[in-house]
Amino acid sequence: MRRFILRRLLSAVPVLALVSLIAFGVIWLVPGDPAAVFLDASATPEQLARIRHQLGLDQPFYLQMLAWYGRILHGDLGQSILLNRGVGPAILERLPVTLSLTGLALVFAVLLGVLAGLLAAMRHRSWADQSLMVLALLGLSVPDFWLGLVLIFVFAVGLGWFPASGYVPLSESLSGWWHSIALPAFTLAAVQVGFIARMTRSAMLEVLHQDFIRTADAKGLPWSVVVTRHGLPNALVPILTVIGIIAGGLLGGAVVVEQVFSLPGVGRLVIGAILSRDFPVIQGGLLFLALIYLLVNLAVDILYAVVDPRVRLE
Amino acid sequence: MAGWTRRGVLKAGTAGLTAALAPLPLAAQPRRGGTVTVAINQAPPSIDAQLTSASAARDITLHLYETLYARDENGAPVPDLAQGVTISADGLGYVFALRPGVRFHNGGTMGSADVVASIERYRKLGASANLLNAVDSVQATGPLEVTVKLSRVQSTFIDNLSSPRAPIAIYPAEEASKPAAEFKFIGTGPFKFVEYAPDSHVTLARFDDYTANPNYRKRDGFAGRKEVFIDTAVFRFMPEAGSRLAALQTGQVQIVETVDGPTAKQLQGQAAFAVHKVLPFYLQVAKFNHAQAPCDDVNFRRAVAAALDMDEIMSIAFPDIHELNGGWVFGNSPYYSKAGLDLYNIADPAKAKELLGKSSYKGETLTFMTDNTREDMDTATDIKEQLGRVGVKVELKVADWPTVSKIGFTPTGWHFWAHGFGIEPYEGPATVMSVWANGVSQQKDDPTIDQLFAGYTGEMDQGKRKDIFARFQTHMYENAVAMQLGNYGLFQVAGAKLQNFVPYRIPRLWGVWLEG
Repeated sequence: MRRFILRRLLSAVPVLALVSLIAFGVIWLVPGDPAAVFLDASATPEQLARIRHQLGLDQPFYLQMLAWYGRILHGDLGQSILLNRGVGPAILERLPVTLSLTGLALVFAVLLGVLAGLLAAMRHRSWADQSLMVLALLGLSVPDFWLGLVLIFVFAVGLGWFPASGYVPLSESLSGWWHSIALPAFTLAAVQVGFIARMTRSAMLEVLHQDFIRTADAKGLPWSVVVTRHGLPNALVPILTVIGIIAGGLLGGAVVVEQVFSLPGVGRLVIGAILSRDFPVIQGGLLFLALIYLLVNLAVDILYAVVDPRVRLE
Repeated sequence: MAGWTRRGVLKAGTAGLTAALAPLPLAAQPRRGGTVTVAINQAPPSIDAQLTSASAARDITLHLYETLYARDENGAPVPDLAQGVTISADGLGYVFALRPGVRFHNGGTMGSADVVASIERYRKLGASANLLNAVDSVQATGPLEVTVKLSRVQSTFIDNLSSPRAPIAIYPAEEASKPAAEFKFIGTGPFKFVEYAPDSHVTLARFDDYTANPNYRKRDGFAGRKEVFIDTAVFRFMPEAGSRLAALQTGQVQIVETVDGPTAKQLQGQAAFAVHKVLPFYLQVAKFNHAQAPCDDVNFRRAVAAALDMDEIMSIAFPDIHELNGGWVFGNSPYYSKAGLDLYNIADPAKAKELLGKSSYKGETLTFMTDNTREDMDTATDIKEQLGRVGVKVELKVADWPTVSKIGFTPTGWHFWAHGFGIEPYEGPATVMSVWANGVSQQKDDPTIDQLFAGYTGEMDQGKRKDIFARFQTHMYENAVAMQLGNYGLFQVAGAKLQNFVPYRIPRLWGVWLEG
């Protein structure tokens, strides 16, 4: 197992190198000037040139790229052009927000999705099955920015149960954290609930038609035990695959949800950096998100082996 | 404005004092305490006032820092940290008397060394360092006296010192001498810095040792008397309009910097909110790239200007809040002129076709560049439609602001570019003229504009400067250097509990209080 993990980690290195190269190259091909963000429409070329010089943007492309690679090999993602601080610290100080959001959304998505999928499979072709699958389809179809705004107007403006925006750190108040993150997390989870529910249902239906399930049922085991002890563990591999995929989707969706709920997370950092051409933050942010994505996939691979001994890691 | 003399400054100060003596109505008794949260659209790139001219930064920095001179309610410069100025007869020497007893947020007292260090820092790092390009030397000539020598006469020097664009803020000398990254956000403003949560908010607290300017009795633009009643001010960065509205409705924020027209209509008449119309706030302009044919041809430019119906453009782009006024400064400016306005909004397709026939335009497709805000895209789309009616083919090129602002200052890749000017017409003629001087915005030198601009900045007599600006405006229209499409504004919304709020260029939090 240790060798497997090490090998997977090593294989991530070229992927990250490729991501960084693409990020650096693509961003430099896109026109746009970070100096313009400091100034307004009437800025003179001299003012722009002065800001560019202060920001080091007047250096040739290859020198900037070499300097950046030199820094990341020392674990330094560089200095943000606009934030007046290092890219690493800028990401780390926003990380708790994004982890809270995506972590809670993952919990919501898995709990609700698996539960809905299980219920639908157990009540196959009943009204409950149909209703749950219609709901799942609805969740898949609704854009998250729209759902977020609807939830804000119903639960924050209408009922006053949650704040309309903002983030309270967990270290400050558990209740405050829950109130600030629940609606965004549910918004982010909604799309993924549909995915997981549909995948769970189909995986379970396949398993429930297997001989060993028929045998367990014939032995007189209660149906709930047959489903949870014999059915579900055997359906977990495809469900885990979907969870691995949606973890990446959650990172992507977090960008929109952080924007709608004004959450100061990594997604918003990267979007702000893209809009203002803060190259070091874009590159560092993309590298960081790619790393998270790779780690999530590694975790999923390891979980395969845990839930299914037939999967050989070596 | 006539030359700046001590007598002139004292006269202006006395007039302001007299006007300000009217007491507050009995019902409006200020109440101390509470937190006011302002929802602003974007996070500022920096809250070091000297380093950025981004409007999002001004919302915050003008609460934290002050300048020697500041703009009053009508945009005219008046003393703030300075008591006044004496200008030498040759117009090259400015001796500033500083207000005594002004405290910094770090407990220090402002003196001439702080002013010198701050101005020197601005000359090196300031986002609009060209404001000080006529400065030859800055010296402390007394504990509360600073002498600035100019290398040439610059009639706009006090205007420049008072510019809120990227304010020439006065910092403690020890902070001004640090590298920019180590600056601690210390100023003399009525609020002091507490916290900057990236992408989330900035928190400021009332500066209890603030030395309110004794020369004023009431709030006046960015100057005047700045009394703070609230304990804390929070500026929350909320990019999503729906979230800003929801936060206002739930009482999470008390002021929204700007809402769109439909939202303003929805909130108007609701007792819980006060909707404030701020018009004019911006001026919408369509630029020509004079470095590209056929925009280098005056007949072509005049044909385009003649074709356009400004009413239609402004009604589509800014349906709820605009005014048709072709002046290149706002109507409340002492420099406002009607010179050349007979050529504004003529909307005469026949005339346009006639001029087009005389021009070098040969039916090629021209590029209209615009950023991706709805208003600027609508402006570009309608102009494209109108030009199509007179036979000018236009294609739109839409990109985000950093992209268009990079391309727009190069001589290729565009023929037309539309966007708003906010601070320029507010600041006055010199700023407006500087945009076109040296061919900066039109990408080709215009000797007449360069000459008028040089004449304006070298002329100390306000009456003569007004004439020069009128000639500039006439030249802009007669040569269709660019097109002033109209003025537009914004809606600011405050919760009804917020008392004594008066909208301005930024949501000012001095002078306001929360109802119990």
